[in-house]
Amino acid sequence: MSLGRIFWIFFRAGLAFGGGLGILAVLEREVVTRRHIVTREEFLTTYALGRIVPTGTMTAVAVGIGHRLGGFGGTVAALLGLTLPAFVSTVGLTAAYRQLQDTRGFALLSVTLLPAALSLVVAAAVNLARSAIDRRPEMVLAVAALIASLLFHVNPAIILLASGLGGALLLGPPTSA
Amino acid sequence: MTLGQLVGLVLLFNAMTFGNGPVMIPLLRESLVSGRGVLTTDELLYAFTVARITPGPANSYVASIGYMLFGLPGAALCALAVVVPGYLMLPLQYGYGLLRSARAVSGFTRGLIGASVGLIFAASIEMARGSLTTPGSWIVFVLAIVAATVLRWNTLLVLLVPSAIGLMLSALL
Repeated sequence: MSLGRIFWIFFRAGLAFGGGLGILAVLEREVVTRRHIVTREEFLTTYALGRIVPTGTMTAVAVGIGHRLGGFGGTVAALLGLTLPAFVSTVGLTAAYRQLQDTRGFALLSVTLLPAALSLVVAAAVNLARSAIDRRPEMVLAVAALIASLLFHVNPAIILLASGLGGALLLGPPTSA
Repeated sequence: MTLGQLVGLVLLFNAMTFGNGPVMIPLLRESLVSGRGVLTTDELLYAFTVARITPGPANSYVASIGYMLFGLPGAALCALAVVVPGYLMLPLQYGYGLLRSARAVSGFTRGLIGASVGLIFAASIEMARGSLTTPGSWIVFVLAIVAATVLRWNTLLVLLVPSAIGLMLSALL
């Protein structure tokens, strides 16, 4: 895949609102649902590996998918596309700090773009869950991970490693399910 | 404080928190606001808010802090400091690919996938708690869900049309 195309896909994801999850939602639509570049399982595995890397998850996912699509150049194109919109708008708004601090525009975002962005996140979560939903062990692990994260605030990296080890000990290849 | 020291702090805190923005804030506050006194609490919160309301990764607030302290070079280097560790993904992915066919690894993958789904839902719920706080935001959320799943609109329309309706509602109410 051409570097320009990789840049474009990640630039679209980088325009997403709602932080890492918003980006995940757009990426899922672009590379899994629409273009079928990676399968749902590969996407989720990349996401899981990305969460283990000690930096922002989507940064690591961009490196992982960028590399698969276009080697080292692909990682640079993906990272540039992903971070450019955030960098330009963040620095621009910081430069305008004093002027913007008290305007009503900030308050309006909470009833406009942020909830709309959240809907994309939920839609992507449901879509990704389909790959796990028809297999009981994965469902159990998903619910356990949800509870561990939400109620007990267990570190996500620990949840992933524990779930992976549990899977390695108790589960075979997906075909046996 | 020098630019090198700031970049060092960002690298360290980013690795300690696995790039989790909200967790990094108390660490930055401790060292930049209380410790060295180079930033005010308001400036730190502004940087954090700006990163949340702008598109893209939420950890882009480190660019905002870099800009406040050292201008454009500060912004660029701080942004780079949270991107570069992403390359650890390459050896991880490579090693994973080598082992993939082993039986234990395919079990491990199934475990990872299950936990990923759970974690994505957990993060969505936390995000909803933070942003669905008014009736207006709920209306926009539901409209956008319908646009994304039932009507299957493209991403830009899903964001813009419900947002515009939310804007009109907030002007009327």
